[in-house]
Amino acid sequence: MQKIFDIPRELMTGEDLAQPGMLSCQGCGASLAMKLALKGLGERTIVAIPACCWTIIIGVYPYSTLKVPVVHVLFETAAVSASGIRAGLDMRGEEDVVVMAWAGDGGTFDIGIQSLSGVAERNDDILYVCYDNEAYMNTGIQRSGATPMGAWTTTTPSGAVKQEKKKDIEKIMLAHEIPYVATASVAYPDDMIQKFKKARTIKGTKFIHLLSPCPPGWRIDPAMSIKITRMATQAKVFPIYEVENGKYKLNVYPEKEIHLKEYLNTQGRFRQITEDMLKGAKERADQKWEDLVAMAEKEL
Amino acid sequence: MKQVIKGNFAVAQGVRLCRVGVISAYPITPQTTIVEELSEICARGEMDAKFIKVESEHSAMAAMVGSSTAGVRSFTATSSQGLLLMHEVLHWAAGARLPIVLSNVNRAVGPGWNIWADQTDSVSQRDTGWVQIYCESNQEVLDSVIMSYKLAEKILLPVMLTYDAFFLSHTSEIVDIPDIEEVDAFLPPYQPEFRLDLDNPRMFGGLISPEYYYEQRYIMHKDALEALEYYPMVCEEFHEKFGREYDVVEEYRTDDAELIIVTAGTITSVTRIVVDRLREQGKNVGMMKLRMFRPVPVERWLDVLGGIPKVVVMDRNITAGLGGVFASEIQAVLYNSETRPVIYPVVVGLGGRDVTPDDVEGIINYALENDKPKDVPLFWGLKQ
Amino acid sequence: MKGIVLMTMKKRSESAKAYEFKTWRDFTPMNISVGTMLHNMTGSWRFIKPIYEDKVPACQNACPAGNDIEGWIKLLQKGEYDKAYWHLKREQPFPAILGRICFKFCETVCNRKQLDSFVGINELERFVGDRVDLSTPHPDLPDYNGKSLAVVGSGPAGMSTAYYGRLLGLRVTMFEALPEMGGILRVGIPAYRLPREILAAEFDGLKNMGIELMPNIAVGKDITLNGLRSDYNYIFLGTGVHESAKLNLEGEDESDRIMSGLGMLKKVALGEEVNLGKRVTIIGGGNTAIDAARTAVRLGSKVTVIYRRSETEMPAHPGEVEEAREEGVEFRFLAAPENIKINKDGSIERLVCCEMELGPPDESGRRRPVKKEGALFEVETDSILIAIGEIPAFDFLKDVVKTENNLVVVNEGMQVETIDDGRAKIFGGGDIIDLPHTVVHAVAAGKKAAIAMDCDRKGADFSEVFQKIATGDGRALSFSKYMGWMPVNPVRQNNTKVVDSEKIVYDYFMKAPQVEKQVLDAGVRKGSFDTYCKTFDEDQAQREAARCMHCGRCTECDNCLIFCPDVSVLVRGEGQFGYAIDYDYCKGCGICFTECPRNAITMIDEEIPIQVDD
Repeated sequence: MQKIFDIPRELMTGEDLAQPGMLSCQGCGASLAMKLALKGLGERTIVAIPACCWTIIIGVYPYSTLKVPVVHVLFETAAVSASGIRAGLDMRGEEDVVVMAWAGDGGTFDIGIQSLSGVAERNDDILYVCYDNEAYMNTGIQRSGATPMGAWTTTTPSGAVKQEKKKDIEKIMLAHEIPYVATASVAYPDDMIQKFKKARTIKGTKFIHLLSPCPPGWRIDPAMSIKITRMATQAKVFPIYEVENGKYKLNVYPEKEIHLKEYLNTQGRFRQITEDMLKGAKERADQKWEDLVAMAEKEL
Repeated sequence: MKQVIKGNFAVAQGVRLCRVGVISAYPITPQTTIVEELSEICARGEMDAKFIKVESEHSAMAAMVGSSTAGVRSFTATSSQGLLLMHEVLHWAAGARLPIVLSNVNRAVGPGWNIWADQTDSVSQRDTGWVQIYCESNQEVLDSVIMSYKLAEKILLPVMLTYDAFFLSHTSEIVDIPDIEEVDAFLPPYQPEFRLDLDNPRMFGGLISPEYYYEQRYIMHKDALEALEYYPMVCEEFHEKFGREYDVVEEYRTDDAELIIVTAGTITSVTRIVVDRLREQGKNVGMMKLRMFRPVPVERWLDVLGGIPKVVVMDRNITAGLGGVFASEIQAVLYNSETRPVIYPVVVGLGGRDVTPDDVEGIINYALENDKPKDVPLFWGLKQ
Repeated sequence: MKGIVLMTMKKRSESAKAYEFKTWRDFTPMNISVGTMLHNMTGSWRFIKPIYEDKVPACQNACPAGNDIEGWIKLLQKGEYDKAYWHLKREQPFPAILGRICFKFCETVCNRKQLDSFVGINELERFVGDRVDLSTPHPDLPDYNGKSLAVVGSGPAGMSTAYYGRLLGLRVTMFEALPEMGGILRVGIPAYRLPREILAAEFDGLKNMGIELMPNIAVGKDITLNGLRSDYNYIFLGTGVHESAKLNLEGEDESDRIMSGLGMLKKVALGEEVNLGKRVTIIGGGNTAIDAARTAVRLGSKVTVIYRRSETEMPAHPGEVEEAREEGVEFRFLAAPENIKINKDGSIERLVCCEMELGPPDESGRRRPVKKEGALFEVETDSILIAIGEIPAFDFLKDVVKTENNLVVVNEGMQVETIDDGRAKIFGGGDIIDLPHTVVHAVAAGKKAAIAMDCDRKGADFSEVFQKIATGDGRALSFSKYMGWMPVNPVRQNNTKVVDSEKIVYDYFMKAPQVEKQVLDAGVRKGSFDTYCKTFDEDQAQREAARCMHCGRCTECDNCLIFCPDVSVLVRGEGQFGYAIDYDYCKGCGICFTECPRNAITMIDEEIPIQVDD
């Protein structure tokens, strides 16, 4: 029978580098993301985790749910701590070990952007992954630079939802002209695993922006996590593409296209989005999609 | 081999001799020449190290956390604002039990921008858990780099060695630079028991409950105290191999002193001259050079200062609303002494204001002439 | 637990160790981990849990026989064509026949329609049926249990009863009034739709199972029903409907050029001569009318079909209507015959019809056709075939069997009311009872009757049994379930939950065009009674079978395995099918349920205990 995703079963039944017992909420996208990321990277990986949901998910002293070495680091230092690890490993001759900084959107878009920019400018050989659940979820759903316009959070409460656009982190990272910038989504696991496999082979700074659903923060039923994340790509608000050395490639042309409104209606946090915000957001998403298609077609 | 070199250069040489593996630093006056010199040493191939040219001091220390956890000897340098910016990460590095060595050029804290000698920057980090060593000369600076790694890698706590801006950093002195083989014999390669190891994957520094955090901190405190036992041993071994003598404190003509003046940093050199001068005048004065500030050498301080009638403490630092920090801590230690000296806290030299032999003489005489301190602290040289 | 599941769960429980640090000396100096979080059984957080549960796909639910379509398609895809054949036969014994003439209820509800178009189930059924030597008897014939069954009528209902009856151990004899076996299949369905050889081979198959075939014996004439009652334990009446309804117009009986559609087909089937002339008009809109129309075309006539309602209300299968059109049959809708003028020599002078219009609905729910005032028109025709409905002939049943509205009355257990005097119990099915007149309904009725007989033999309550073996909405019942046979997937089965299109995740299926039915060009085929549809070859069959979405049935697509955030889906492995949930850690988030493309997982309340099977 045809499998839907081109992921060999041996990979999924092979060694579990992410193990159960995780302290994540039911339906957590970040848990799934780490599981898939490690399936793509394999065991020769070291992870640096700043303050974020994964600080908790991974477990409490003296236990860890991951079977790879992990260093917890300060909130804003994911990228540069990973650089430090990389330097140390290179001095020890362990050049084949991938160092992955695994940060949330807060630690990437906001407080961590300085050290991330520094790493990118130096093109340090690390893989930086931002699993984006679009707010400071770990501390209780406060808004971040990654929160989309019109979303409810505890600091953009009812009646005063977020007015500002979501920061375009991909453009920021592309401006640094690093060898690899990509988006990926837990709803397209084969593409995601491929990207992590590929990241291992690229030298220099690699940036992967993941969309990671959060049931309590997005106000959704945990069972709908993946479906809603897929809808984000179908509504073109989270296109899945990669840019390798400046060459664009659109990885997912969604077979089904849905209106942005349909995507937003699935989540309680967008209940107060205004018509203007919706219109603006759709225009921007459509424009970004058109630009990506054009950039990708240039390569073909 | 003896050379005439500046303090920053001495640090760079010390780092080279210790075969440091990863350096990350951000420029700030007056530390910049350390960074520049290390860049050139690396570029010349004299040292096999990775140099991460970070975009802030906070990131510099964060990179250290990374490389040290990976099991590689790591070094950084900074000063003043940079050290303050690192504050959060200093706590983290010490709590993570990483044997990082940082050389801090003691510079005043703004505003206003002041790039000259002042110890406020490092003393304000005294709660971070770092070992702190205060150096008096360029030779001492170089030697301290080497000894610091030996100490750090034994007790698994980071060490901050400090020295005055411009007076040492940019002033040339004669420094005997040892051969790297000699240093190798003294300082073996760093072989940590726990590091980022794919064969033994562990999680470092994770979430910890009230159930266990308390004990973790207790162990840190206990291990910090171990420095007081171990450092003198390091100094003794260093003395045997390299011929230069160091300790947690240095006593100068304290045997029959009726007054001991406590100093740290370059003021010590000045004070040495004044002590000799006053001794010739028949005054029984002595000096205690405060070398290790953290952990607090309680026994040694009690031992040296305990039975002395008068103790003058010179602080080239200030905590607004309290005064000088060394004085405050010495007082706290001496509280437990059977005989408590009269203590004369003096704040001098903030922001690089020169402290001359005449100043020190004046301070000591003031103490000799007064049964009790007139002002606590005394601001010597305040424009009134 | 076996295989990989056992290994994984064993490894997990070995690593699940909780440490206790009693004094500070037990700690490591650095804050580092010493073990896994496996002791944290997050399964305790659940309030709902997933179970793997196969359900009834929409196609099976719509099939009157409850054909396990998904099951044999799965076997087909694996290349196990023989297995597919015998699996199909569990619920519907004649794939080579139904694969040619079935009404195809399954295709009308196929969930794939919402994606692109329905799966060509009928084509695939024919493929499966045509690969096998139909005269092969069932490989696992049981011994006779001492009871006997007389089947009256060898149409589809009788064939089905005979087949299942034998599988239940009865000694079966089939009586057929006509010289050829097959009932309506032989004399009602034209040869181009159902080749004679196929029917003959099926009967060879029945004979090779030990079923006695007795053609040329009409019960009620050559032998009596009462006689059968003394000689057999069970009787099944499957005599079908071979009489046609009349127009009740003057002149209807006065010409030999006016006959029933069914009558015409029977004559052609038995090789008798039929003279229809150049122009034929057929009254009616059902499958008989279309069969008659296309047969008339093949006899060389020009055919017009007149139907009193509109095209959308025609009971005939739209596919058949389309093929008829292609063959040149013309249709006139919303018209009905008014009167017929016969010439002295018996030829038809003219047929007068009246235009109709649709009024309010009648009892069937369809809008009643009403004559349009003054809208008469004439039709010149050489013959008229009347195909407005078939009715049974019950003479031989008089005094024995109760009839109502021209139908035999049966109870829920397909049993006819008789005076219970210890002699044979009589069952009935097919067109003589109140069922839609399709072959598959007849086959289903035969199956049901056979099971009812077996229940009677065992003293079991048929309605209780029926509850347990009903499929989906209860239209059909499952012979497999009755016999306790394993389904294709060795997975928990829920035979009452139906998976409709709302439960399918279409995002996971890619559009693929339907493999076209291989038919001869209309111009060619209308000249012959040879079969005009070519059966798929293996490549075509595999391509079309690949379009089956396997609604409600696990296909080991691994979606649940991939998407579980808590690594709690384990593969059974080592030759075993499917997955197991590690309930120690499963948090009951429901992602596996939502992302299963075909609803093969069910979320149930945590409180409900389930057997964590071996």
